[in-house]
Amino acid sequence: MNATLALIRDTFREAFARRIFWGFFGCCTALLLLLMFLSRLEVNVGGDATPVLGGASPDQAASVLQTQSIIAMVLYYAGTALAVFASAGLVNAMFEPGRIELLLSKPLSRAHLLLGRYLGNVLVVTANIVYLVFGSWLIFGLKTGVWGTGFLLSSFFTILNFSVLLTVIVLVGVLWDSSAVAIMVTFAIMIITPILAQISTIERLLNSESSREVLRVLYYTLPKTSDLSVMIRHMILNQPIESWMPVWSTALFGAAVLAIGVWRFNRRTF
Amino acid sequence: MSELAIETEGLTKVFTSRWTNRELRAVDDVSLRVPRGSTYGLLGPNGAGKTTFVKVLLSCALPTAGSAKVFGRDTREPEARRSIGYLPENHRFPTYMTGWSMLDFYGALSGMDSASRRRRIPELLAQIGLEERAHHLRLGKYSKGMLQRVGLAQALMHAPQLLVLDEPSDGVDPVGRKQIRDVLTALEEKGVTIFINSHLLQEVELFCRDVAIIQKGKVALAGSVQELTMGSGYSVEAPRVPENLRTELTGRARHFTGTGDTLRLTFETREQANQAVDLLRANHCEIESFARTRSTLEEVFIKTVEASKAPESQA
Repeated sequence: MNATLALIRDTFREAFARRIFWGFFGCCTALLLLLMFLSRLEVNVGGDATPVLGGASPDQAASVLQTQSIIAMVLYYAGTALAVFASAGLVNAMFEPGRIELLLSKPLSRAHLLLGRYLGNVLVVTANIVYLVFGSWLIFGLKTGVWGTGFLLSSFFTILNFSVLLTVIVLVGVLWDSSAVAIMVTFAIMIITPILAQISTIERLLNSESSREVLRVLYYTLPKTSDLSVMIRHMILNQPIESWMPVWSTALFGAAVLAIGVWRFNRRTF
Repeated sequence: MSELAIETEGLTKVFTSRWTNRELRAVDDVSLRVPRGSTYGLLGPNGAGKTTFVKVLLSCALPTAGSAKVFGRDTREPEARRSIGYLPENHRFPTYMTGWSMLDFYGALSGMDSASRRRRIPELLAQIGLEERAHHLRLGKYSKGMLQRVGLAQALMHAPQLLVLDEPSDGVDPVGRKQIRDVLTALEEKGVTIFINSHLLQEVELFCRDVAIIQKGKVALAGSVQELTMGSGYSVEAPRVPENLRTELTGRARHFTGTGDTLRLTFETREQANQAVDLLRANHCEIESFARTRSTLEEVFIKTVEASKAPESQA
């Protein structure tokens, strides 16, 4: 437990020292300020909120939730992208020659070292995502009087999505020691998954059954970044969630990639 | 617990190039036994495989064949490494940490609880003479010598039974070196096994009782420093030797030098040396010294390295 806490604390310390934490925090604060000052949200007491964003002026309370869902979507993608940029360097820093040898000489398993660093990284991002989402929720609530929990719960999906993408960063780091490649691969996944999410449309366009099979494998294997964002929208708008498959299949992908990362790290020579 | 601090059996590490499939045997069938409580030096020219050997020993690199044990336990088991304190050669301590926080971090990774760490850190900082700066100065501002000293303190945090030091006095000034040597001597007296990987032969000769010279991944020579530096001849020194006697003795000696009015003679055997002493005494000459000749570790090292190169150049 001591060692795990030390690894987490070290990740935080490094995130502070490299200005990663503060950079992320600054971006989150800028987004919150933007939300606070650029949006004009007028409130009718009794839940009949009238938000006015960018000049448009819908007059139903539901439109507050509609606006929230759009903001949540922006925060989801922006938060994940910022987190990926922030984390790639943090993971690879651990593998620096002269540093990794000393860590490996300690009475800890390699899995423990890698997972400790991973957990620390997830917590660094979680702290900022919670700040961003909670801050936005507070601003919305104070301005509109609408305190929907769906918006707060969206932070769970953002953190899950990031945690899974971080496993890709970890695996690429273990394999090639490259932050740049890690960012490229992660962004490629973030770009491909919204396309794959249109699986039913694409399937109709494909001629061969084998192509459709490849598409299905890709869709069900890769994380469902886009589907998770749709789930966020449904939650905020109090619409029923049809399937939790995107959550568990994304989590499963993350677990599998992390397991491969640990396995490869166990076999690597430094 | 085993009486051997380090025991390797046919330890081999082969690096294979992914593209050309060429093999490099960095460590080649090394079987080494380091007794508990000893001070052991691992020597070798650059690229001989010393650092790879240490990395395999600490499980940073996985062996291609053979085994490495520390106090009887395979070093691939994390628990086996609990008894090891390690100072790497080109260490890169996190520059954002202070000396204190660095010791605290590595102490926690070594399994120490926070109370023990709080107790141990000031002790060690005082021992290495960094107690004042370690609280507030970040490691990025440390000089090379200070980093070596705080690195040594890091290796000692959890009071290990085996200390593995890779070039411990590299970049340290003579005063710092003396300080490090004093710390190591105190540890030796407490029965800690000290394994030093270094190319500073004088340092090793001064501190280690046993050495192994590694060349092209293989152990070329191993033994106690005393045995290895023991020469094969005997020397006799005598001042003011009359000219006729000087001529006779230099004719019998394997080697002679004359510094000032003192004659230094080296003989093949003890008997020859004794005969020379008898002759000198019979001529009322005084004997300045009589000793077995010794080589320096550097001479032994160069001879060993040259000898292992010779078959290659002949081929």
